[in-house]
Amino acid sequence: MTIITFVQPSGSKATVEVTEGLSLMEAALHNGVEGILAECNGAAACATCHVVLPKEVYDRLDAPEDHEEDMLDFTTADRQPCSRLSCQVSISEDMNGMVVHIPGE
Amino acid sequence: MPNIPVIGDVTMSDILANPYPIYARAQQMGPVVRVEAANLMLVTRFDDIMEVERDPVTYSSENPHSLVVKVCGPNLMRKDGEEHQVERKAVEPSLRPGTAKRCWAPKLEDIVDEIIEAFEKDGEADLFDAYASPMAARALVAVLGLGDVDWQTVARWSQAMMDGNGNYGNDPEIARRAKQATDEIEQAIDAMIPYHLENPNESALSSLLQADQSKKQIYGNVKVFIGGGHNEPRDAILTLVLGLLQNPDQLAKVKEDPSLWEKGFEEAVRWISPIGMYPRLVTQDVELSGVQLKKGDQIGLCIGAANHDPTHFDSPEKFDIFRPKQPHLAFGAGAHFCAGTWVARILVSKLAVPRLFERLPNLRLKDPEAVKISGWVFRGPTSLPVVWDAK
Repeated sequence: MTIITFVQPSGSKATVEVTEGLSLMEAALHNGVEGILAECNGAAACATCHVVLPKEVYDRLDAPEDHEEDMLDFTTADRQPCSRLSCQVSISEDMNGMVVHIPGE
Repeated sequence: MPNIPVIGDVTMSDILANPYPIYARAQQMGPVVRVEAANLMLVTRFDDIMEVERDPVTYSSENPHSLVVKVCGPNLMRKDGEEHQVERKAVEPSLRPGTAKRCWAPKLEDIVDEIIEAFEKDGEADLFDAYASPMAARALVAVLGLGDVDWQTVARWSQAMMDGNGNYGNDPEIARRAKQATDEIEQAIDAMIPYHLENPNESALSSLLQADQSKKQIYGNVKVFIGGGHNEPRDAILTLVLGLLQNPDQLAKVKEDPSLWEKGFEEAVRWISPIGMYPRLVTQDVELSGVQLKKGDQIGLCIGAANHDPTHFDSPEKFDIFRPKQPHLAFGAGAHFCAGTWVARILVSKLAVPRLFERLPNLRLKDPEAVKISGWVFRGPTSLPVVWDAK
């Protein structure tokens, strides 16, 4: 299990224990984390599961594919340098203790 | 385990005229309700539909008896998993928000102006035929890359296929018209393929060719795009216009603050969702909110009902662009989330509707009683007579 903390725009935090291999979006949904709507449930089509990763994790991951890259420019909250669609990020053991920010509008 | 309740005292014409009171009744009765007139079990509550859409293995889009497959051939709307994903990815480059903004918006803007120009001096029109239908059809031709097919032909194709998709009574004339439409679509695709092979571009047909999709895949999916890609933007345009004309206070606010157009669009498709219902096939015995469903059951996900679910939306029958921001299901949910969402958003909320109000001064309903709205599987205004102060 991997421990991940989601931080809301208000600063409130939810620390959850999640299974590796799930997407970050699924982890958020299973734990009722607010702000992750995931209307398309992982098809990278709706841009409603926007998160900002810690830089060291963002850098370690493969770059977003073209489709996600395009979608990130149309999220409700403005894109930041380490923005990702959480449905496209698979949870791995080395993310243990990661703090993920949910950007506000 | 409770039995599945039945609504047996409404007719199909009741449902077509106004399904919302029937949905409200169904939502009170239980998570799954059999509506006799539609010969289908309907899921009407928002949260239940979300649960179904998050479990595509149990609730499949594939169905051997699907009329859509019979009319269009195999297509991505009736596939699941990997197979669906490959075909979906093939068309995605044409429909991304960035492509919509950069590539399609300027072309669609020209079409908007051309169509308005044609009737601007008349001072009155039925926006269904004069504006929304040609706009949606011509936008579709552009995005698909179908060359110079005229809008009336696209509207006829789309209607013929939609009638075929709903031809549960096996009417031979409906089947003949659907077959004729799909034959003509195949010819139109064939006529354009050499051009797209020579000149790769951002149209859907070109994207499918660039992704090495087979002829069969291209035929099936382009037919589905035409069947589904005409009436939804048409109905969304009309619904947004109607909502604003019926609520002049909201219209005034939108005119003051153009950033509200986007909210207006989302509220319009929540208020009268162009796609009101779509089916899923139950692949294994399963319990949905305490109701036992059996393998092989066909269920209808009633988006129109979910978007009026009072546990999610206060006074759901009201058009109110100032509702608190919250998700709606007008584009569906899950893997089949509408692929055309972003193009539709730009077409309707950035171009077609704002431009109409800009160019037709003092636009108003000709006669509020004359507005007609109809349908449940597909629902929208079927007549929207308006007048304005022609220059």
